[in-house]
Amino acid sequence: MRMLAAALLLLSLTSSAADLSPAERQRNIESFEQVWKTVRDRHWDPKMNGVDWQAVHDELRPKIEKANSAAEARKIIGDMLDRLKQSHFGILPAAVYEQVQPGSAGSLEGRTGLDVRLIAGQVLVTSVEDGSDAAGLGIRPGWELLAADGIELAPIIARIAKALEASNMLPLAAHAAVLHGLSGKPGSPVRLRLRNGEDQTVELSVPRIQPRGLRTQFGFMPPLYAWSESRRLEGGVGYLAFNVFMDPENLMKTAAAAVTSCLDCKGFIIDLRGNPGGIGGMAMGLAGWFIEEKGRRLGTMYTRETTLNFVVNPRPVTYRGPLAILVDGCTASTAEILAGGLKDLKRARILGSRTAGAALPATIQKLPSGDGFMCASASYISEGGKPLEGSGVTPDVPIELTRESLLRDWDPVLKAAIDWIKQQK
Amino acid sequence: MKRKFAQSCVAVAVLCAAIAVAQEPLPKAEAILDGYIEATGGRAAYEKLRNSVTAATMEIVGQGISFKMAGYAAAPNKKHTVIEIPGMGKMEEGTDGQVAWSLSTVQGPRIKEGQEKAQALLGAAFNSDLRWRELYKTAETVGVEEVNGQPCYQVLMTSNEGLQQTQCFDKKSGLLVKSRITVKAQMGDVPTESLPSDYKKVDGILLSHKGTAKVMGMDMVVTIQSVKHNVEIDESHFRLPDEIKALLVKGGAKESKP
Repeated sequence: MRMLAAALLLLSLTSSAADLSPAERQRNIESFEQVWKTVRDRHWDPKMNGVDWQAVHDELRPKIEKANSAAEARKIIGDMLDRLKQSHFGILPAAVYEQVQPGSAGSLEGRTGLDVRLIAGQVLVTSVEDGSDAAGLGIRPGWELLAADGIELAPIIARIAKALEASNMLPLAAHAAVLHGLSGKPGSPVRLRLRNGEDQTVELSVPRIQPRGLRTQFGFMPPLYAWSESRRLEGGVGYLAFNVFMDPENLMKTAAAAVTSCLDCKGFIIDLRGNPGGIGGMAMGLAGWFIEEKGRRLGTMYTRETTLNFVVNPRPVTYRGPLAILVDGCTASTAEILAGGLKDLKRARILGSRTAGAALPATIQKLPSGDGFMCASASYISEGGKPLEGSGVTPDVPIELTRESLLRDWDPVLKAAIDWIKQQK
Repeated sequence: MKRKFAQSCVAVAVLCAAIAVAQEPLPKAEAILDGYIEATGGRAAYEKLRNSVTAATMEIVGQGISFKMAGYAAAPNKKHTVIEIPGMGKMEEGTDGQVAWSLSTVQGPRIKEGQEKAQALLGAAFNSDLRWRELYKTAETVGVEEVNGQPCYQVLMTSNEGLQQTQCFDKKSGLLVKSRITVKAQMGDVPTESLPSDYKKVDGILLSHKGTAKVMGMDMVVTIQSVKHNVEIDESHFRLPDEIKALLVKGGAKESKP
């Protein structure tokens, strides 16, 4: 969800204008009204975060009536939502929305096999999928990605940074925008310009491949490829990583096997770096493997009508040893709920960099214009009493990746977690 | 002048109607609830039932989420419901009449306690419409409201455990047309409002085959595809799953008491 939201930022920079028919104009007006009324009726705060919502409507309604293109109408509705100054409110252009429909072909699903992060202002490769063409071409973690298909990344990152200057979401948005730019039809090539470990500029044509994992989708959330893995690290430390809180069938099986085979482990690590969240309830389900006491909560969600406690259900068997959670600026939403809640319960030590602070639950509905409308439906307060939205989870042990560490194939965050576990009695 | 007179007449007529409604004595809840049994088929038809198997589909409107539900129920108080949501996995709830539990792919196994357990056991009471005197300590007619333009009597029912729900029965047909209940979930209280409709006769009893519900600001539609009564149901549906038994063992089996 977060990836999609951030990708919209990029798409909004490339929309073109076109004349509208009277019917299209009317559908834009209806869309404007649907968005305005939905927020008015469903926002968890009847005071609308201090915004005079009626005044916003009255100001922008004449503008939507005069909008001459779908892009202009979308921008006006987006402007309306921006007034709330909260994440998870946004408009998905129809072309993108069609991509997220159940059963859609997903022509943008091909990936390069590279993962990236914005580190010290540079887009750096942080992992290269084993067996991928990118790996075969010799691309290594630590290389800087400069351009894709002739499009320079630096100006795009600069624009996103400017748009998000007051937000903590830059790493997440930059990550999503770059990955979106690299995506395309599986099998099609993308021409990359990179700076390698010797500071030389190289140009490579990388065929896009099907992403790792199982294609999964829930409702109108965008289809995602979900994978999970577990292993035992040096010194008898359990390790669980997964890229998204989706495909519960497989993820929960992986987690169950990881924990139950590791009850005697010296410690356990959950790697949530780059995890953008997903199904909120899975945070409680996973926490149940690490919490022994009944009735503990990760936090509380507030809608206008209800207060929902994120109560952890202890599993019949739980892991009771030291628990470390790895996070970064691309850890968002449900991943923040899990990390923040376990930190607040003093059950886990958090290592890495501050998370995205994008923790509002949201749904997507279709508008008369054909666009999708992402609407946050609740606020969330972590068990420590603070909202995650905006501020994110602050690590107990802040550690940043660097180009040097990546080039050395050295993961200082993971190493710090293992060291901490070794120090525990 | 003529128009003003007409407006006055309308105003008086509305006032008279309002007074008429206000002064109409409300029937006793007992009569309404018993009338519902008669309107839907009669006591004898209900008393023939021993169990039921229900198949339904559910949709969360506008969210692209739809799923199947299968329900198994048996007298006096056994129940097992299975929901399979694409992308989210399986969610099961059940009771053997003593332990109320849930088991889901997302959240794992859980034993219900307190008011949540009481509500689950109340919901599992087979033929509960017929047995309302046994299950509820009070039932009171509290007013009249309109549902789909038709007046209905509001009956406030309070269970023996103190759980409340308001049901609204159509004045003319006697059928249940609206229900308001606060669902006692582990995560908190969730007020829900449902509108049963599309009554069809099954084994001599009129059963609602469609329901719309409003839950946490979302609209849900439930469509019953089939209801079968007095069929062979595998007893495994009402046995406690192994994960629930493991939780009971872990908790010293204290949760197994009713």
